[in-house]
Amino acid sequence: MRPALSLRDFSLVIALVAICAFFGWRAPEFLGPRNLSNLMVELSLNATLAMGMLLIILPGHIDLSVGSGLALLGGIASVLTTKAGWPAPVGLALGFVAGVVIWYAKSWLIVHERIPAFIVTLAGLLVYRGAFWLVIHNETVPVVAGGQSNVYSLLSTSHLSPVMGYALAALVTIGLAASFAMTQRSSEKSEAAFLKMFIGAQAVFLLVIVANQHRGIPLPALVFGVICMATYALTQHTAMGRYLYAIGGNAEAAVVSGIPVQRVVMTAFGIMGGIVAVTGFLLASYTGNSTTDLGEWMELDAVAACVIGGVSLRGGRGSVVGVLFGALIMACLINGMTLLSVSPEYKLVARGLVLLAAVWMDMRVNRS
Amino acid sequence: MNSVILRAEHITKTFPGVIALKDVSFDLREAEIHALCGENGAGKSTLIKLLSGIHPHGSYDGRFEVNGAEARFASIADAGRTGISVIYQELALVEEMTVAENIFLGREPKRWGGLIDWPTMFREAKALLDRFQVVLDPAAQVSSLGVGQKQLVEIVKALGKDSKILILDEPTAALAEHEVLVLLDILRDLRKRGIACIYISHKLDEVFAIADRITVLRDGTSIVTKSAADTSKSEVIKHMVGREINDLFPRRASTPGEIIFETKNLTVRDAATNEDRLHDISFQLRAGEVLGIGGLMGAGRTELLMHLFGAWGERRSGSVSISGKAMRASKPADIIREGLVLVSEDRRRYGLVLEHEIGFNLSLSSLEQFSSAGFINQGRETTRNRHFFDSLRIKATSLQATAGKLSGGNQQKIVLGKALMTEPKVVLLDEPTRGIDVGAKIEIYEIINRLTAEGKAVILVSSELPELIGMSDRILMLHEGRIGGEFSRAEATQEKLMAAAMGHVIGATVEQ
Repeated sequence: MRPALSLRDFSLVIALVAICAFFGWRAPEFLGPRNLSNLMVELSLNATLAMGMLLIILPGHIDLSVGSGLALLGGIASVLTTKAGWPAPVGLALGFVAGVVIWYAKSWLIVHERIPAFIVTLAGLLVYRGAFWLVIHNETVPVVAGGQSNVYSLLSTSHLSPVMGYALAALVTIGLAASFAMTQRSSEKSEAAFLKMFIGAQAVFLLVIVANQHRGIPLPALVFGVICMATYALTQHTAMGRYLYAIGGNAEAAVVSGIPVQRVVMTAFGIMGGIVAVTGFLLASYTGNSTTDLGEWMELDAVAACVIGGVSLRGGRGSVVGVLFGALIMACLINGMTLLSVSPEYKLVARGLVLLAAVWMDMRVNRS
Repeated sequence: MNSVILRAEHITKTFPGVIALKDVSFDLREAEIHALCGENGAGKSTLIKLLSGIHPHGSYDGRFEVNGAEARFASIADAGRTGISVIYQELALVEEMTVAENIFLGREPKRWGGLIDWPTMFREAKALLDRFQVVLDPAAQVSSLGVGQKQLVEIVKALGKDSKILILDEPTAALAEHEVLVLLDILRDLRKRGIACIYISHKLDEVFAIADRITVLRDGTSIVTKSAADTSKSEVIKHMVGREINDLFPRRASTPGEIIFETKNLTVRDAATNEDRLHDISFQLRAGEVLGIGGLMGAGRTELLMHLFGAWGERRSGSVSISGKAMRASKPADIIREGLVLVSEDRRRYGLVLEHEIGFNLSLSSLEQFSSAGFINQGRETTRNRHFFDSLRIKATSLQATAGKLSGGNQQKIVLGKALMTEPKVVLLDEPTRGIDVGAKIEIYEIINRLTAEGKAVILVSSELPELIGMSDRILMLHEGRIGGEFSRAEATQEKLMAAAMGHVIGATVEQ
């Protein structure tokens, strides 16, 4: 497969360690169990969305509408649950189905009518935000009536018990080992691959130990973990994943190679719709309600996570692990700056500069 | 006799592994139309690229003289300043601009402050168009013009720069009959004004209608230069192709089986231009047979293959069948499943995902074979990849090597391997040996032999006549989108094929 270890992998790890060390030094509570638990939830929100974004960028498209979209889909579920009084699971299910259907339909404009994804999703960014305000009547709609709890609110407040956490870590390790074994038969770089698997498993156990010191693994982190591993399997072990890389690498060759390009891209958008819905539910649940500015700029954070993680905006290059690191770097930066009481103005400037610096470095590394 | 305005002496130009021009000498006189003829790949384009500064001075041996002084072009602009303008087959006009803007592109008349002087530009454009008797509105947008009119804009643009030497590369390839006549009239008029012209064309009728002298290039050498009055079409054709066929072509005879693939009366329209490009194409293909398809550039060879593969054109009439069943599929993905596969002439564009590994590319069309529930069985994939990697003798460190970094021959083998892994019945090969070295060529020919021995049928499109004759059991020549002639291997000669490609009736022109 790809080169097992590249300078890129190390540069991301080094950047992440440096950022964590800096915040740990200036704000010791950064590395405390309580904050790390928060960080896990914040990471999960952005990183879940970034996984979807990877599936869109790999074949050379982009989706700018996800920030508004997740607000809308979360808002639909909030209104159905709290205002219309429907059972929360029904509200959530309808929001999810709406996401998949809307995104799949939208991709038809991109794939068959050949309107650039940038334009279609830019329109979506505006339309969904407007639709969201209509749905919530410009009010703040809670995910559950005051003082109670339902499936929707529990999405972000539940945690896994310590025992379940360890069981999960064991499960993940088995999964990683299985993936390792599957690639082993095709790849010759076994030491590097084994090292990666080993470190991955270690990281998961460490995560569980730290989380268990607070309240256990938060449910959003579990949701993210599942989506992350599913995306990994999709990109690395399925024909569709190969096709996504091939379409982004050379769309004309992909057609001539007999790849059903249109169907593959539409499926990727459909999956993105589902991921947007899930992210919308998690965010509304974490915030406690659907408010007008929910999800603003999250599309840019998702794109930033991808780009920092080495995904090429022209398509054809990028990996789940890279995006994970990109999202981690973004999440740590934002969280750390909040702890240091950096004002929002400077936070925005810093986020922009980090994105720019990451792409600049990436291009220099690639050129040399 | 007029004085020599341009002289090329002992020009030799090599590309890595290929000698494109070998000791070519050539001269152009004032007020002369000098035609340059030769097969595809004879070195005409390379010569033009040297003359126009695309390949700068220092990248070749020999010398050019313009008006008696040595010319050393470092760039296209440099050649332009010396008075040389080239009009290429693919026009270089900005579609969204007006005729006048295009004529003055890059040298717009300016007012103070650098603002464009629009009235002057339109006035001068009008004056230029009038001077050469071109009836066109300088304010018309180029995208609204026909191909012939665009060609005229290009010529006026070149003349507006006071060019003394005009080089036209296949200027009539895309023109309709009456547009050709207009163009030829304009060239005759330019000749009266003392402008010299190098005219490159496959169409010998035009060449003889307009040229004063004719030079034939073959295999990168200038074979002969003659006054048009002293030669004939058949002599020119002979000089163009007259080369020995050696045993570079190891075609092993096979006994064709039953008909495996058939097209009936195919007429296909180019969706982009809304014109029919292929007319009434009917042929049959037998198992174990190699059907060669030849023709000049633009004859429709590639279009035919791309259409059969569902990647080009809109079928207006006709039908295609494989193994006796009508093919209904219209997309490459489905057509591959029916047993037809294409190896494109442009492997970097249509063949490979260059930044990925060999293995990724080899199995790309066949992933369904070793997937269950969408998941790839990577063990089986690797086994299959390794089989093709070894049997095609792809020279690379491993299956993990990046495809884009390999030589042309090895890249071609990957594309072939990808096609063959789909287990096709019919393989369409479009210029499978273009740009690869002799050793790799012979390996590709051996692969073709192996395929037919296994009972597969091959369609081989090639612009090299020796390759067509050497490797095909039967040959179709296309001429302007129609079948211009069909030849068995025994009766095919380069002269007959070339005559058929040019639309001449065999016997009437060649054996007079």
